[in-house]
Amino acid sequence: MIGKVIGLVFSPIIFSIAFIAPLIAQSLTALNISFTDVPNILIGLVIGGCLGLMAHFRGSWIWVK
Amino acid sequence: MGEVRKDINTSDINWDEMSDDQLEVMERKIASKYMKIFPLGIIIWGFANTFIWLSLWPLVLMNILPLWIAFPIAVLNVCLAYLPSHDAQHSIIARKGHKLRWLNELLGHVSLIPFVAPFRYLRYTHFEHHNNANDPELDPDFDVHAKNRAEFFKKIILRKQPGQGAQKDRYIDALIRTNKTHVMKEAIIMRVAYMLILYVLAWSGYALEAALLWWVPMQVANIYIPYYLSWKPHHPGSEMGRYKDTNAFKSLLGNIGSSGMQYHVIHHLYPRIPLMHTPAAFRELRPILIRKGCDLRGL
Repeated sequence: MIGKVIGLVFSPIIFSIAFIAPLIAQSLTALNISFTDVPNILIGLVIGGCLGLMAHFRGSWIWVK
Repeated sequence: MGEVRKDINTSDINWDEMSDDQLEVMERKIASKYMKIFPLGIIIWGFANTFIWLSLWPLVLMNILPLWIAFPIAVLNVCLAYLPSHDAQHSIIARKGHKLRWLNELLGHVSLIPFVAPFRYLRYTHFEHHNNANDPELDPDFDVHAKNRAEFFKKIILRKQPGQGAQKDRYIDALIRTNKTHVMKEAIIMRVAYMLILYVLAWSGYALEAALLWWVPMQVANIYIPYYLSWKPHHPGSEMGRYKDTNAFKSLLGNIGSSGMQYHVIHHLYPRIPLMHTPAAFRELRPILIRKGCDLRGL
């Protein structure tokens, strides 16, 4: 059980949702980039989520293994 | 053992006239002189570095210091966090039983805070590195070996990908071999805490601060530290033995820029010589090291 929780904390999908997504959103905001009707956090979640899924299934954040 | 002068004025010695035994005695005599020096510099370095890094957080979060200024300072802090603990790992500040032993252990733990690494975990695995330097089976740092700089960078980036875990396995293997698996708990707790802090900060509106004060500096340090502390001084890493497993080298960044690793050969020969005194020890021991067959690469 504890092992699974620890595995989750380090999993690429959790990292991308919990860290990459807000990081992308806040970076966009800091750069004054915004898209009408689409909140930056949603853009962060989509980009971060895709990266996380790639890292999870491919085993690499940069595609190359 | 041969006879050796009691004074250590090495300038008027004809090294070629000395036997192997005499060289060995002289080597130990010179080294012991440096091992007795109290390493005040590294103590100040370790505590000050962590204090500065911790100070960046309130300074940035309260908008006193701009993030773009704090970021390079944080990178330096995280890259500089390992070495004070490294001196403490070797009990250079104070051995077991010494009245300042608490300071040795405190420095070891505190200096590693920015680098999010557990002191005892690093100490035990590092001892295994010393005992088995360049051994393909037993050296926990063997995974950093690469035939050239480009391959090193490729390897170090690829091994950080989610599908890779060879380096971690070597460290765990070393702890199992030495019956020190209890320290793995500390490593897991620290790493989980680090990730959770990053997540909480990010969702509290401080993702950029978390990234630039901690996460990116950690990525830089996780390349810089293995490069200068593991790969460069042990490259090509094909030989084992007291005078063969570590080299001197001339760094493009100089001795300070390479964290003092130009003289890492001294550290492997005499791990209790303080980092800040390895250059002086090297200069004095150089004639002996040449005669013992060390690869000093013109240094």
